[in-house]
Amino acid sequence: MPDTDDLTPEGPRDLIAPYVFDHVDDLERRQVERLVAADPDARRELDEFREVVAAFTVDTAPPASMRSQVLASITQPAAAPVRLAEKRHKQSAAGRPSAARRRWVTLGVAAAVAAGIAVPTSIAVQSHSQQQQLQAEADVVAQMVADPTSRVLRAEVEGGGEVSALVSADRVFLSTSEMADADADSDYQLWVIDGEQISSLGLMRPEGGSTSALVEAGSGSTLAVTVEPRGGSEQPTTDPIVAVEI
Amino acid sequence: MPNPRTSQPDAIDAALSACADGNPELFAPVYDSLAPAAYGTALGVLRDPDHAAEVAQEVMVEVWQTAARFDPARGSARTWVVTLARRRAVDRVRSEQARRHRDQKDTDEKGAGGEYDMVAEHVEQRLEAAGVRRCLGSLTDTQRDAVMRAYYGDRTYREVAEDLGASLPTVKSRIRDGLIRLRNCLGVDHA
Repeated sequence: MPDTDDLTPEGPRDLIAPYVFDHVDDLERRQVERLVAADPDARRELDEFREVVAAFTVDTAPPASMRSQVLASITQPAAAPVRLAEKRHKQSAAGRPSAARRRWVTLGVAAAVAAGIAVPTSIAVQSHSQQQQLQAEADVVAQMVADPTSRVLRAEVEGGGEVSALVSADRVFLSTSEMADADADSDYQLWVIDGEQISSLGLMRPEGGSTSALVEAGSGSTLAVTVEPRGGSEQPTTDPIVAVEI
Repeated sequence: MPNPRTSQPDAIDAALSACADGNPELFAPVYDSLAPAAYGTALGVLRDPDHAAEVAQEVMVEVWQTAARFDPARGSARTWVVTLARRRAVDRVRSEQARRHRDQKDTDEKGAGGEYDMVAEHVEQRLEAAGVRRCLGSLTDTQRDAVMRAYYGDRTYREVAEDLGASLPTVKSRIRDGLIRLRNCLGVDHA
């Protein structure tokens, strides 16, 4: 009797223990998160198990250089990204979202939060103008999530993973999940195909399977990702591993 | 035996909560108290000091950035940081694995059991220092084995079930029962 127990009511409760070890897949993770949001007993069990797992950690002095690097990179107010995410929640709750849209909103908020975190993390290496650009992109995505006419498209990636595209007017916020890293000598490259015209939109470098890109692509065009030699190509040299018609 | 917890957990919890207002000057003492937990967690999972330092650095910036989400009612600041650090470290292990899989498809299949045995000793030494080891003695052999395998970032519980030739429900309940015994032994009680 293999996986059938996952479907029983006790399923999610039993998943709390694997969850605290980060040993669940995305679907199971969501099951547990729904459970603990609704059930105070389950939440208490989760919190207690987390404390048990934390007791396994042996505090160890990190390299001294880390301190100055972290302290130098935290010039951004701490509360800002969280507020951004909450604002998105509120805006999107105003409409009457479809199930798919609700799913996207969840994804979008998660992506936005990730983007919010990414902004200050990058400060050490990004110039001020790049930071501002990232912040501006996050603001645009927030508007797109709130746009009641926006659509969500999904496509499977050859070789594993999924691409979701949030389409609002001529803008597309593309995000990948569970996509394998490119080989050391190659890169993923994103293209927009408009009739005969194929233009590069840049390289995509997923981290932990995820990456995102905010691009302009009109209705009727196609976004496609190919595997190219490291650094990218002028025009695609291989067949797309995923394509989304906008 | 050194106590891994900070001597003034409440003060650190309060300091972390105060960081939510965005004053960077408040963060230095929080960093000093919690960075060792972030680094220790990452090191336990990744077992590579350079990778662990990268992950810990990202985690500490995340701690600053998301301080507003820390909820002292649900656990200590240290537990919160360990949770964040563990998630990032496990993500790192998984993406490294995916990369290695493609890079050396044909090289010898690294048996999970072999890897487990290789690092088990190292981890047990660390646990000795953490004081958890005494409580692991309160688990049955199968519970202990399941919990220790789960502690690694490189096997999902499904894979642990495969390794042990046990059913998924069996492995899940071993891990859960093991954690419940550890919880009782460590005196963790949020009731």
